[in-house]
Amino acid sequence: MTAKPAGSNAVAVATEHGAFETKHMRINVGPQHPSTHGVLRLVVDLDGERIVHIAPQIGYLHTGFEKTMEHRTYQQCITYTNRMDYVHSFAHDLAYVEGVERLMDSQVPIRAHRVRVILNELNRIASHLVFLGTGILDMGALTLFFYTMREREQILDLFEMVTGVRMNYGYFRVGGLYRDIPEGFEERVRAFLASFPAMMDQYAALFMKNDIFLSRTKGVGIIDAETALAHGLTGPSLRASGVPLDFRKAQPYAHYQDYAFDVITSETGDAYARFEGRFREMRESLRIVEQALDLLEPGPVQDPDRRISLPPRQELETSMEAVIFHFKLVTEGFHPPSGAVYVPTESARGELGYYLVSDGGSMPYRVKVRVPSLVNLQSLQPMCVGGLFADMVVNIASLDPVLGDVDK
Amino acid sequence: MSEVAGAPAAVPAGPLATTVQEALVGLGGRPGVFKEMITVTVPRASGHDAARAAKEAGFDLLSDVLGIDWLNFPRHSGPRFSVVYNLYAIAANERIFIRIDLDDGESVATITDLWPGANFLEREVFDLFGVHFAGHPNLRKLITPEDLEGHALRKDFPLGETPTLFNDGRFLDPASFRAGMIGRSRGLTGWVGGARKGVVSEQVERPAATRADAADRKHES
Repeated sequence: MTAKPAGSNAVAVATEHGAFETKHMRINVGPQHPSTHGVLRLVVDLDGERIVHIAPQIGYLHTGFEKTMEHRTYQQCITYTNRMDYVHSFAHDLAYVEGVERLMDSQVPIRAHRVRVILNELNRIASHLVFLGTGILDMGALTLFFYTMREREQILDLFEMVTGVRMNYGYFRVGGLYRDIPEGFEERVRAFLASFPAMMDQYAALFMKNDIFLSRTKGVGIIDAETALAHGLTGPSLRASGVPLDFRKAQPYAHYQDYAFDVITSETGDAYARFEGRFREMRESLRIVEQALDLLEPGPVQDPDRRISLPPRQELETSMEAVIFHFKLVTEGFHPPSGAVYVPTESARGELGYYLVSDGGSMPYRVKVRVPSLVNLQSLQPMCVGGLFADMVVNIASLDPVLGDVDK
Repeated sequence: MSEVAGAPAAVPAGPLATTVQEALVGLGGRPGVFKEMITVTVPRASGHDAARAAKEAGFDLLSDVLGIDWLNFPRHSGPRFSVVYNLYAIAANERIFIRIDLDDGESVATITDLWPGANFLEREVFDLFGVHFAGHPNLRKLITPEDLEGHALRKDFPLGETPTLFNDGRFLDPASFRAGMIGRSRGLTGWVGGARKGVVSEQVERPAATRADAADRKHES
């Protein structure tokens, strides 16, 4: 950290021992620091221990995904979507394919929707586990991190079983899924569902009544609903301020309307509410996964429409038309009608949507990702100003930003 | 339950969006609907008034501000850039898009006074498209490096190829390489591969019933 006086913010202070001048101190935090959850850099002006102004400096992870996607076909873009928010990858994949499917009027089979929801909600739990572990790590409690990572590994094992990889899955396709889930997957998910609530009780015992945790988070970083909305805050952080906005309920996609779950809200709007809200959300995600497993029925997992989906492999040997469709889709891709769509979805961080502009070509003309982390970062200013420097770390953790999601 | 779920259900435009749309038409706006999404294109001068009218009517969450460069868009006429406000009304559960068209060098009034959250979003559009937001408190680059010249999401931004002299004496000229990529002429490979980009299909929206058996029919393109 480097420190230097911040301009001409000299304040004259008169005490009984005589008059002197104090100056605001400008401190640089990050970008390489564990408590910034990636490569977030903050320029903080301090008056003693109190924060006067805070300015996030971002872009260290900018990869130009939006530009790259303008030069890839619609199916190829899925390679890029899941690399933005690498902690909740499936949310990005889902938001993207939902957008293209609306553009194409794709008839997605119900089984594909169910599997998408199961994976998306398991990924939300994994994301919240990272949040809990690292967030409480920032307050100095190391133990919980190992516990949450242990359960996250179980979820990643499930993903590896389905997709073959542990991160950056690329498993969803426009019109369905890459392939069906493997045999034995449902049983393993059910086994996880049976074991996980006990683990959650274990976490709760570790931190929910911990005096240090409570005094570090209660009443810290309070943001009221009006300020939060003005700054564009969404997701669990907004719900902690009492606004029950959840796009899984408000504008259901991927058949979320079939599942019963509660939108977790809290009135206090402090860091504790943001921690506790995400913790309680994991139980709701478990409920959704359980219901989706119950509703999961055998069936196709890809849109039969040959404009979108590749023909089955065995047909290529007997049908000339299948070969032609296969060739056209692989070399050229499909052509959505000219226009723009936006499908809002709920990621673990907030409102996530892809604004896709199509010119009728087989690649998107413009892709704009409404990333929740970037917009949520702006709420740091109202949360932190007037508070202690040490509380800033708690506030960053409680917002749960993923810098890949911020910088795109 | 049917086996095929259908496309994600688009939320139809509700009463609030319709009311605001009429108010924006009063400001000189041209409404348009695509896939149940209302986009009202308002004149550049009344962009701020339109945003204020929408906010006062109940669109309380500014989801996004985005830029579009129409340079290569087929059959596009009119100003080169668009700035789109993506607004959401929480209580009414409705969404409306306000679009402002402008040319290079023109500026839009900032809406940071209505939503402080527009700060980063407008800075991002400024950074990537070079659109100037008049009255913005801190209009600096947001995500690209300070020393990067140009605006990366403009369609004429060079794609980063560097002239390269290989050891065997072969020289890679970026211009011809790029020409091959975008399909205007034969590039290095001699194959006009990129022709897929910018091909406008004359496809019309087919009714759902005929599309279900599309697998059995010949592809029309």
